[in-house]
Amino acid sequence: MNPILLAPLFLLVAPLFGGLLTGVDRVISARMQGRVGPPVLQPFYDLGKLLQKDVRPVNPIVEPLLLGHVVFMALSGAMIVGGVDLLFTAFVFALAALLLVLAAGSVNSPYSFTGAERELIVLLASEPFFILMLAAVSKVTGESTFAGVLASPERVAPILPGIVLAFLLVATIKLRKSPFDISTSHHPHQELVRGLTSDMSGRLIGWVELAHWYESALLALFVLLLVNWSPPLALGAFLVVYFLEILVDNSTSRAKWQLVLQSTWAVTLVLAGGNVLALFLLRS
Amino acid sequence: MSNLVSFLVVFPLLVGVPLAFVTRGKVRNALVVAGGAVIALASLATAIAFGNGSAVFFGLPGDLEPGLAVVAAEAAIALVVIVVSLQHGRRLAPVLATAQLAIAVWLEVTGRMPAADPARLFGFDRLSMVMVLIVGIIGTLICIHALGYMRDYQRTYPQTGGRRQAFFPLLFLFLSSMFGLVTANHLPLLLVFWEVTTLCSFLLIGYTRTGETIGYAFRALNMNLFGGLGFSLAIVLLAAQPDGLDLARLTAGPAGAALLPAIALLALAGLTKSAQLPFSSWLLGAMYAPSPTSALLHSSTMVKAGVFLLLRLSPAMAGSAVGNLVAFTGLLTFLFVSFVATTEQNTKMVLAYSTIGSLGLIVGSAGVGGAELAWVAVMLIIFHAVAKSLLFLVVGTLENRLYTKDMEHFDALLSRMPRLSVLALAGIAGMFIAPFGIVLAKWSAIRAFLEVPGWQGAAFVVILAFGSALTIFYWGKLLIKVLSTQAVDAYHRSVEDRVTGFEWFAELSHAVLVVILAASLGLLSESIVGPYARGLFPGGTGALLHLDPAVVSFMVLAVLFLPALALWSWRKSAYDVNDFYASGRTTNGEHAIAAALGGTRAVTLRNYYLVGVVNGEAVFRAGIVVCGALLTGMIVAGVVLRA
Amino acid sequence: MSFFSRSPWILHYDGSSCNGCDIEVLACLTPLYDVERFGIVNTGNPKHADILLVTGSVNERNIDIIQNLYRQMPDPKVVVAVGACACSGGIFARAYNVQGGIDKVVPVDVYVPGCAARPESIIDGVVQGIAALEQKRAKVA
Repeated sequence: MNPILLAPLFLLVAPLFGGLLTGVDRVISARMQGRVGPPVLQPFYDLGKLLQKDVRPVNPIVEPLLLGHVVFMALSGAMIVGGVDLLFTAFVFALAALLLVLAAGSVNSPYSFTGAERELIVLLASEPFFILMLAAVSKVTGESTFAGVLASPERVAPILPGIVLAFLLVATIKLRKSPFDISTSHHPHQELVRGLTSDMSGRLIGWVELAHWYESALLALFVLLLVNWSPPLALGAFLVVYFLEILVDNSTSRAKWQLVLQSTWAVTLVLAGGNVLALFLLRS
Repeated sequence: MSNLVSFLVVFPLLVGVPLAFVTRGKVRNALVVAGGAVIALASLATAIAFGNGSAVFFGLPGDLEPGLAVVAAEAAIALVVIVVSLQHGRRLAPVLATAQLAIAVWLEVTGRMPAADPARLFGFDRLSMVMVLIVGIIGTLICIHALGYMRDYQRTYPQTGGRRQAFFPLLFLFLSSMFGLVTANHLPLLLVFWEVTTLCSFLLIGYTRTGETIGYAFRALNMNLFGGLGFSLAIVLLAAQPDGLDLARLTAGPAGAALLPAIALLALAGLTKSAQLPFSSWLLGAMYAPSPTSALLHSSTMVKAGVFLLLRLSPAMAGSAVGNLVAFTGLLTFLFVSFVATTEQNTKMVLAYSTIGSLGLIVGSAGVGGAELAWVAVMLIIFHAVAKSLLFLVVGTLENRLYTKDMEHFDALLSRMPRLSVLALAGIAGMFIAPFGIVLAKWSAIRAFLEVPGWQGAAFVVILAFGSALTIFYWGKLLIKVLSTQAVDAYHRSVEDRVTGFEWFAELSHAVLVVILAASLGLLSESIVGPYARGLFPGGTGALLHLDPAVVSFMVLAVLFLPALALWSWRKSAYDVNDFYASGRTTNGEHAIAAALGGTRAVTLRNYYLVGVVNGEAVFRAGIVVCGALLTGMIVAGVVLRA
Repeated sequence: MSFFSRSPWILHYDGSSCNGCDIEVLACLTPLYDVERFGIVNTGNPKHADILLVTGSVNERNIDIIQNLYRQMPDPKVVVAVGACACSGGIFARAYNVQGGIDKVVPVDVYVPGCAARPESIIDGVVQGIAALEQKRAKVA
């Protein structure tokens, strides 16, 4: 299929995928807690309501920044499937995450600011991994585009076990799951009210939510890059990872930022960095 | 070509000399603006006259021989250093300066200095063109900015009164020597210009002549003279080699065992000038100089002379142990100073660390070599010069208006100084946001390092991955402060109105340049940087920019769309900056919350400085030790092992 | 019918009370009642909430808090007063510091009686609140 056509397809399908995933997540979480839980389509109802609500921005730049957050998050996924260099998308992805930080930081209120700073720490913790992962995938397959990696005869995951293990940890950050949900979480009961979304109302939260759906879909794309020989297997692997994340989310308490940063960097350096080192030594 | 370059070297001196005697502000303004305009136009004319051909070499008009003039110039420099140092009771600098002079005299007296080819004293290629344009355009914009900046600076530091005549002549002397530096092909001539820039830097850092700044000035002088001594020793070694003093011929290809010792010593000089660890502390001390100095010498041009030389040496040292060790020194410097920058609260210091880090990336690219990395290095030189200069100018303006360099005091800048905060945003975006050149260069560097075989390649990639994340963190923190909002009273809103027209003009021009350069990246790569990189490392045919330029332009548009949207939303939507969530407490006044027992409590929000996780000083010391060891290894590898 | 009836997000505020109603409100979240079945979420943030659920009475020191929270909720929004104290001041009504029910400071849409109100009636009150929310939205739209 033409990669230029895949990009708009991603833009359309990713929110459905991310929204459904969130819905299933909420049902499974509820079941783990002995509850029935909401309908699977609940995230779509929520988004629909948020878009219908009145909005009262605290300052004029929050909404433009949040729109930028959504657009660049969607773009980084669309760029991946559209055939733009994989490593480059890591920087677009970082820009998207940064725009959310700035939106919350611009409000300059105690809860939003603390959430923004913590999100920045989370970004600092996770960014090296994504660069290393995409670099390693390019190195293994000798390809720099999505289509190239999928068509490559090399199976990526078996060669990159360290990266795969580190992915489990870093995905916890990006999916905003406990113990790494220090900036905001899907659960209302935390010490920061809602962290970086504290001062957003109405459709502003809707934008954050929509961007997060794109982000989930992006993570699924990353799994597809690692399990490049079989898309169904990749989807299965992603769902297993996601289930594990829900399990961890429901059985751990939130960590301090120091632990988040140190543990993620240690794992990235040792597992991902070690994997990259081994790859360079064996492959060249 | 010869005439144009001579003009560029001589004309700034002609502007500088009368400036030393001008006491009336209006005359000074007119002279600087007119002189600056002529210099900028002349540099443009030089670039146009050069067109886009391969390197050309030429001598002085009338085929004059430099001969003893070089020694005389070195003697003059040494004399100034000795006199000023002894006035302040410093001993190390005179020793270093005398040693250099002694070497020059000895070479000349014993007849060991070969005669220079009068037709190859100067050379001009695409890299020279890039540097001439940076010095000519960015440099003169900074001089114009200084007209506004220094007026307020003198009020803040009245004790500089008698010396303010010297400031602008020094800037123009510096511009002149910088033009000479980037076009010289005969190494002893290059050294003279090199030392003049060192001297300008020294005098400008010590401008206020407080005990603190004098100390930093001498630190900078000592380290740069040490590098200059390495340069002199390299000339001694190269004088014995055929064509050794001809920079272009010396660096035409991989250096043999006979040339490597000299290459290593020249690399040492380049590393000191570009303030790589273990020499970084001089650039940090240099931040006490007035901000236009920081913008001109310590970010956009003089420190670039160091990486300029290393990039010239790149074909000679690529693939050797010397090249590898230079690359590790640069890249580890990038990593170490990025760590330190996350713990730094003084905005100018953050800019200094970021400068050292960006130079480290260029050093790393030059050390590894190859067309792709040469492309990265030149792109970094261009984009860093514009964006970082803009940031230094903006921070200088902020410092004059807010009397602080502490980023915590730039809180709510968007509400207090909307125009300046947009300019700061342009500079910061230029430094680390995706479609702008620096990030593209960083990304291309990672791609190129993927091709470096063995553990070195892996180490380079890991260093860049972590270093990039750290830059996102410290720029992000600053950006939060710059873009934050709060209720502001009329007085605070009026502060911005006192920024001078000179400053607005220079900063706005910079911001426009940042955007234009980013949007025309494809053209830049295609017509200037690409051909240069391919010429430096012939053989490769692959693409250098692994991205459709249309994607870059599209992203620049997408990023620019956000401020436009913000402006629209500013005009249109109803918002209340005091309406933030404070657990139901009433918020009022200038960012305050009603307290439980009456009265109000001001909201104070401070950035995270990774306290308890990163110890900035310890990291910096570790960096000095590690990079010092690498540097020693580099000298040993070059001079002793010749590998 | 719009999305409001499927996704009512609640902000729970407690004024002067014995905390009995608060326990019952929290009971609604437990597996036995599980209000998330109806898409109800306890947000803890006025800017995210559609329904302000107040237990306890208004006293001198929380008037501005309740008003601020109500003001910060984006439209459309409703207030549900849960329990005798929130409806009228309850047994605290004559205390020197108590003003009375919530309707003294913000417009109340649904009154849920009881001391303490039972979870079933709280849920019923919220459902009636949703109906009021729909009416208000229709007016806004």
